Amino acid sequence: MSRRALPLLGMIAAAAAALVWAVPFAWMAVASLRPGVPANVAALWPEPPLGFGNYLDAWQSGDFPTWYLNTVLVCGGILAVQLVTVTMAGYAFARLRFPGRDVVFVLFLLQLLLVPTLLIAPNLTTIVALGLYDQLPGIMAPYFASAFGVFLMRQAFRAIPRDFEEAAMLDGAGVFALIRHVLVPLARPSLVAFAIVSVTFHWNEFLWPLMAVSSPSRQVLTVGLASFASGSEAGGEWGVLAAGTVLVAGPLLLAFLVFQRRFVSSFVFTGLKG
Amino acid sequence: MPTMRFDMTRRAALGAAIAASTAGLAVRARAATEIEMFFPVPVQGKLATEMQRLIGVFNTQHPDIKVTPVYTGSYDDTNFKTRAAIQAGRPPAAAIMSANFIREYVIDSAAIALDELIAKDGGTPQGFMAQFWPALALNATDQGRVYGVPFQNSTPLLFYNVQAFKDAELDPEKPPVTWQDWVDAARKLSKPGADKWGIAWPNSYDYCGWLTSTLAMANGGQYYDTAYGGQVYYTEPATVAALRFIHDLVHTHKVVPPGVLDPNGTTAAFFSGRVGMILLSTGALGFIRDNMKQPFRVAFVPKNVVNAAPVGGGSLIIPAGNTPERQAAAWTLIKWLTSPDIAGQWSRFTGYFAPNRAAYDLPEMKQYMAANPNAGVALEQLNRYGRGWFATYKTVPVRKAMEDQVQAILNGDISAAAAAARAQSDADALLRPYLQQTALKLPT
Repeated sequence: MSRRALPLLGMIAAAAAALVWAVPFAWMAVASLRPGVPANVAALWPEPPLGFGNYLDAWQSGDFPTWYLNTVLVCGGILAVQLVTVTMAGYAFARLRFPGRDVVFVLFLLQLLLVPTLLIAPNLTTIVALGLYDQLPGIMAPYFASAFGVFLMRQAFRAIPRDFEEAAMLDGAGVFALIRHVLVPLARPSLVAFAIVSVTFHWNEFLWPLMAVSSPSRQVLTVGLASFASGSEAGGEWGVLAAGTVLVAGPLLLAFLVFQRRFVSSFVFTGLKG
Repeated sequence: MPTMRFDMTRRAALGAAIAASTAGLAVRARAATEIEMFFPVPVQGKLATEMQRLIGVFNTQHPDIKVTPVYTGSYDDTNFKTRAAIQAGRPPAAAIMSANFIREYVIDSAAIALDELIAKDGGTPQGFMAQFWPALALNATDQGRVYGVPFQNSTPLLFYNVQAFKDAELDPEKPPVTWQDWVDAARKLSKPGADKWGIAWPNSYDYCGWLTSTLAMANGGQYYDTAYGGQVYYTEPATVAALRFIHDLVHTHKVVPPGVLDPNGTTAAFFSGRVGMILLSTGALGFIRDNMKQPFRVAFVPKNVVNAAPVGGGSLIIPAGNTPERQAAAWTLIKWLTSPDIAGQWSRFTGYFAPNRAAYDLPEMKQYMAANPNAGVALEQLNRYGRGWFATYKTVPVRKAMEDQVQAILNGDISAAAAAARAQSDADALLRPYLQQTALKLPT
């Protein structure tokens, strides 16, 4: 009895949690279809009249194609560099012996404790000095090295038995071949998990892109969305706001649905939570 | 940028080779000063697009200046980004700044005094400020020097639902004038069991401080020191009594819904008829006009002792660290944006006041005011009872010291006297460093 009841209870609990999680999204979808300012904005039930007018309004309020392109370039650029740096650094901390290794590693981890907002002024000074102010690489530069990613990869590499490497070395593999053909394939779930965390974070980031670029042609989605969201004095047009939010969050949600199985398996593998 | 430079030299070469008219173009292109202007969008609508259109007009009319308008989020984000840009050595030549942040820019020498630029045009600071509504000078000047040029302004206003007034047997021609009238009317409009309320206003950050100061001033209080950034008067009797008034509205008279509403929630409650009267910015006039199905009207904020309406909104500043050439270009832009014609256009588009008084003498504006009597009420309140807007050293944290306590009052967690005492001691701690550098530093 209890053996059968337990999975059932678990299912109910999971369904309840999923429902709570889904309500804001369902509301967003419904609200984005309601024209004007409806009498009961909180209602979840989609009552006619419904239409796509809000999406049209939102789309016309800003330069969405440019924002999408810039956001994809920023997220992709950061991730491409990060994958290289975290793999190399992770390997160094996991396998190489050099003086001061543990001290350097602790310093690396300390970086995780800093609130990113604290670093805005120094980072800005640095990218101005590098001539990257108001450029997309300026948004990316501070994230090229990721303490979190290095930590994750170090743990992943350490979990791999040394036998694999020794076998490869006997076959004459150098360090880079070793990393590329042995360690990286074995640590792929960790890399995928890191990629998801990285892309989600940078897709959603607002403050730093707002600081680092000024030209409208280099703006990213979140900064663009703020033009709908910051109606502080008047109160909002919920419909347009919801439609704009769907436009911003949509691609990420879609990507997650498409690659869902893969994502879930890598999170289960690494024991990470998004 | 290299392609552009190439383009210009080619143009110059072409001009020199062919004719004087083309040469003129080349000179113009070479001399154009390129500047950016940071601007926030504090009200809804396609304001960012409208600002880009305006700047486009400016750029065509001023071929020697090329302004790029940079949308920078909320007032707070704009402040943050401007500060960071100054620190990074890349300040914008002009920025629309929340008018009550200017005091901090003065304290930190982060914005330049505009007196020299005014003098170059043959004017005086006093003469320059005389073109704006008098209350605006409090947040735009310091010690007789001009630091900000008012661009868009608003005051709190009482909005009321005419139909709800009739249903409750109240006369919509006679909106509440005193706090007593206000509570009486609110009692008739409220049915707490049925989730119907007499009064509501936003108490999210920023709005909360603005409207709390409004009530304190309407009760005869000063609330903050308009002349010096080191002192606030959270425990003066008038302010403590205003806090008690807020407490009583919620917990004794039960005419205000408990808890903290934001502007969205406030307008939604007003539109749906859940609340009969709201306090909101004049900047919301256009939004409410477009979305309210039942008839509504506006009135002055009710008073207990005096009428008072602190002026919110944004002013144009020139951040420190710009070359004289960029300053001059920014100054041309600022004068253009705040001229009667443009200020009037912006006012009609947004619902804000035009700070420039002469805007209201233009025919388009007279037409607009005749068609929108509510805008006239708002303007009269500004002209007669306008006050300065809360500005101190570290304005935002000092403002929040009070806001946190007001929110606690609304939630029923604290008494008015205890809230005032705690707000004052938190504010004093924040102001201490500045006091020590200024008022407490005596000759040795």
